[in-house]
Amino acid sequence: MLGLPLAFTVPAVLSALVLLPALYYLLRVTPPRPRQIPFPPLKLILDLKPREEKPARTPPWLLLLRLAVASVIILAMAGPVWNPPPATLAGKGPLLLVIDDGFAAAPDWTTRIAAATERLAEAGRRGTTAAVVPVSDGVRQILPTTAARALDRLRSLKPVPYLPDRTAALPAIAAAVAAYPDAGLVWIADGLDNGRGRAFAEGLEALKTATPPTVLVGATTPVALAGADNKPDALAVRLIRADAHAAAKGALKAYDLKGLPIGGAAFDFGTATATEARFALPVELRNSIASVAVDGDASAGAVTLLDGRWKRRRVEIVSGETADVSQPLLSPGFFLQKALAPYADVHEVRSGTPDPIVAGLDEKPSVLILADVGQITGPAHERLVRFLDEGGVLLRFAGSRLAGGTGDDLEPVTLRRGGRTFGGALSWDKPKPLAPFDRASPFYGLSVPTDVTITRQVLAEPDAGLAGRTWAQLDDGTPLVTAEKRGKGKIVLFHVTADTTWSNLPLSGLFVEMLRRVVALGGETAAATSAEAGGKAEADATALAPNRILDGFGTLGSPPVTAKPIPPGFSGTGSSDHPPGFYGPADALVAVNALAPDATLIPADFAGLRIDRQMLKAAQPIDLRAALLLLAFAGFLIDTLATLWLGGGLVAGRGRRAATAALLAFGLLTLAAAPHRAWAAGDPPVSKRDMDSAVTTRLAYVGSGDPTVDETSLLGLKTLSRALANRTSLDPGEPVEVDPGRDELAFYPLIYWPVVATAPQPPPEAVARLAAFMKNGGTIIFDTRDALSSRSGGPPTAEGLWLQTLLAGVDVPELEPVPRDHVITKTFYLIDGFVGRYANGQTWVQALPPAPPEQVNRPARSGDSVSPIVITSNDLAAGWATDPAGDPLYPLVPGGNRQRELSIRGGINLVMYTLTGNYKADQVHVRDLLERLAH
Amino acid sequence: MSEARLLGPSDPGIGAAQGRQALALARLLPAVCVSAREVASSVMHGIHGRRRAGSGENFWQFRPFSQGESTSRIDWRRSARDDRTYIREREWEAAQTLWLWMDRSPSMRFVSGLARQSKLERCLVVGLAMADLLVRGGERVGLVGRTRPIASRAVVDRLAEALVGDPSELAELPRPAPLPARARGLLVGDWLSDPAEIARTLQALSAEGARGHVVAIADPIEESFPFAGHVEFADVDTSARLRLGEARALREAYLERLAAHREAIVAVCRRLGWSFTIHRTDRPATEAVMRLSVLVADAGSASATRVH
Repeated sequence: MLGLPLAFTVPAVLSALVLLPALYYLLRVTPPRPRQIPFPPLKLILDLKPREEKPARTPPWLLLLRLAVASVIILAMAGPVWNPPPATLAGKGPLLLVIDDGFAAAPDWTTRIAAATERLAEAGRRGTTAAVVPVSDGVRQILPTTAARALDRLRSLKPVPYLPDRTAALPAIAAAVAAYPDAGLVWIADGLDNGRGRAFAEGLEALKTATPPTVLVGATTPVALAGADNKPDALAVRLIRADAHAAAKGALKAYDLKGLPIGGAAFDFGTATATEARFALPVELRNSIASVAVDGDASAGAVTLLDGRWKRRRVEIVSGETADVSQPLLSPGFFLQKALAPYADVHEVRSGTPDPIVAGLDEKPSVLILADVGQITGPAHERLVRFLDEGGVLLRFAGSRLAGGTGDDLEPVTLRRGGRTFGGALSWDKPKPLAPFDRASPFYGLSVPTDVTITRQVLAEPDAGLAGRTWAQLDDGTPLVTAEKRGKGKIVLFHVTADTTWSNLPLSGLFVEMLRRVVALGGETAAATSAEAGGKAEADATALAPNRILDGFGTLGSPPVTAKPIPPGFSGTGSSDHPPGFYGPADALVAVNALAPDATLIPADFAGLRIDRQMLKAAQPIDLRAALLLLAFAGFLIDTLATLWLGGGLVAGRGRRAATAALLAFGLLTLAAAPHRAWAAGDPPVSKRDMDSAVTTRLAYVGSGDPTVDETSLLGLKTLSRALANRTSLDPGEPVEVDPGRDELAFYPLIYWPVVATAPQPPPEAVARLAAFMKNGGTIIFDTRDALSSRSGGPPTAEGLWLQTLLAGVDVPELEPVPRDHVITKTFYLIDGFVGRYANGQTWVQALPPAPPEQVNRPARSGDSVSPIVITSNDLAAGWATDPAGDPLYPLVPGGNRQRELSIRGGINLVMYTLTGNYKADQVHVRDLLERLAH
Repeated sequence: MSEARLLGPSDPGIGAAQGRQALALARLLPAVCVSAREVASSVMHGIHGRRRAGSGENFWQFRPFSQGESTSRIDWRRSARDDRTYIREREWEAAQTLWLWMDRSPSMRFVSGLARQSKLERCLVVGLAMADLLVRGGERVGLVGRTRPIASRAVVDRLAEALVGDPSELAELPRPAPLPARARGLLVGDWLSDPAEIARTLQALSAEGARGHVVAIADPIEESFPFAGHVEFADVDTSARLRLGEARALREAYLERLAAHREAIVAVCRRLGWSFTIHRTDRPATEAVMRLSVLVADAGSASATRVH
């Protein structure tokens, strides 16, 4: 619309826009309610008649606002869509949706399906029938159904892994057009001419539909892989594209049979339509590559599969010639090396090696070539038999030594001793050319040049199986190349030499190709070597069943039911019968690729055709209705506020509240409409509790899991904290419960740990942290609270045992009952011991070193550090604990306010001891202490 | 166009705030004394020294005892100093009574954007401030028809208490009962009622010879009528409404009517010997109180009409 990508789903609603002038008039003559003004002196003028009463009008800006709101609502009701699907439904009859489903359509398949879905949805809205025609369906009859069923069919479509011939579908389309002359034709094309695109387009044009057929072409064409070549230094993969619209740069990835990535290679087309990517990898890795795919391109064409034929074989050449080769450029080894070098890693056993065959086999070749080696005996023979059993290929060439030897069992046929010479002086026969290769021969398909002649060869004894073992023969039927299966391997015998003395075959290109095919046999197993079996029937019986087949997206999977086995030696590309993939048994897979090595992609050319060509839209249509309605709502709110303002309502509190509510509602709506943003709230590195503990000194206790004990500890420490704040310069914060396994203990100078025998032992890491806490200068008061039940010298109580278990993993210093001159009894009050709820329990602290003789009379003694551990059994917390009103919670044993006071004093001394250490043991306090002790 | 509204029930009520304001205002001004000239025959005691002997607290002079006087008036201490007998005379002190009335009808609850306070607030502030000033000056102040004359220092609180729950709260004019002779009246309101009714009320109030001061509190909007355009006016006391397409056209007529109305009231006041003062709420309350202080203290030129 107006050149914008805007369309309306219900354009009829737009006709309501003609009502706007009427609305304009109505709004104009009904002005908003006037301002209401209370006016006390109104009585004075109530009887006055206004002289000129001009009719009040709605202010023009308000009028414009309201008209805009009305227009926006009308527009919203008309269902505006940004980037609408092009209205391509030509024709009033059924919609025929022809879809290219070759692999070229796979990379943007979802876009194509989306475009097709839009068309079908449109057909559904118009109520016409529709048919989905994938071109791979070929001649299947087309029956238009409802759009909904067509949609189901569309959703079940998948691209096929080959490029179907589109013209095959033409007759069916023609029949459908004949049945429904008003049908609308839409062809979602893949943009390639491959698959006879031009011919198909011409065929569509020739159908003479009521409206020209529509072609939807994507903006890009795919990149495809056309063959790979395992070169000596790298695996070269050929990439092709139809035109410069395809991606110019990218990367290839190589995978092994299990789908694990092996390597990657970049490619760059530049401006060309073909390029090459190279995987420069060690040959062993290259040999394990099973498939190469364009990274990020899901298409069967962007995958090339590699089977054994692409493996580089290691070939060992053992020559029977003597060590001093006078003319190395004429030796068989030289010819073989030159012929095999492009396809295999050739290595010639150095002449002069004591046992050349064994030395060659030690290199673990897949093919061993014996050029004119006569008899093989001894260990070499045994090794060769084993080599053959393991699947090796023994390739022998005839020569004077072979012809003159007595023969061995490593020959496919029995040889007549003494060679046959053509064209020699004693022969009247001319040199013989080769006959075309038999179907059963592995060489089948190679063209036979006429100038290749054989002048001399060794002859096979004619016996029963000779024909089946013959791979190549002269035109008079004399076998030239014979082969026999031996174990898993094969013996192949060329009845001529590898040099040019007996024939000019080694000079021809045919020799190279023949050697290549022979070498390719290396490593193949028996199943693949059906070439020995002659005859077509047998070949069919050993046809290779599909093993793993590519789907249109280039993913290997189980074969579809329509996939048929390939005959041996199948060299074509993928088709509907033989989709690309791996065929044959798992250990001898044969790869069939979607594109031939020399394939090209040609862009489709529809020039000069009466065809409505459109772009395949990738842009998603955006429904503008919600945005417009929100806009209308906003306008409505503004109008409400303006009306309130005009009517003077904003002055009164009610109006202000209404305005606030309206603004709030609008804000909320906008917030809801705005995309949610998630704030990643980083965890604070230090918890608030730790921060508080670090800032304020406070006492802590270890939760025992017994709520009564925990509450007693909390209240006791609270009372103690209050007493500390009242009597000393220390003003501790609120006591907290800590879990040594979870909380950081470093913030607490003193931790009170009431022992509950029934509590589970803390985990080892908690004990470790406890030990660290004590080592780093913290003090823990263990309170076994068993002074009443324990007897001196009696068995340890349950709490005592529990504490022993706990402290087994902690480095506890030597302990002693608090001596009378210990500084802990002098730190704030001068006390004798630490009483709590009980007064008879013993309190243990770290043993002090014995006093030096000159300090014996000191009233206070201390070590170098604070005792990391204090163990008491007097239930200190219960002695301290009071409820918030200050009334004690527990009766004391034996009792009395004096005991309660002494327990508080003991607590204060403990806290002061942990905070001040040996301060009170300093000599400067000695005089005061002595004075006070004296009184 | 300025805003105008009535105080609603949700607005902070008339209460302690006005009392505090009135006290603060009164503290700024010297105590007001009613002119002694007019209160010679008043029997009420006050603290105005009349510069003559009479009943009072303060010493005025010693006078030789003359025969026939009551011996109880002899100042024996003074008489003991010499052979004559003296009588201690005190200065005659007397107090004036002022009757206050403050309009609290709905029309007083009007406040516009130009005003500092609603008319009601201003009326209360001015009235209570005057009461405090007068009491501090030794006079006594009573509410018309509500309280006896009060000379307490807490007169503002007492008056405010009396105002709360006054059944005549909505009345636009004071009850037309005569004030005592020689008493003074201070009537604060907006005086937008019918002029004839106002005249009748004032006449009734001064039937026994009382005189006083009429203060008209006016919102600046009522004085200037700054309206224009499409406006609907609503009366405050009645449900009358007036919708004007173009309010500006009525301005001249309104101002004429207002002037005529005021003129009628001034004429009545002048005839009865009352003063008439107009006070606008966009002016500080101090102005009105100072003007009233002068008027009350002077009380001579009764019918002075000034706009503040």
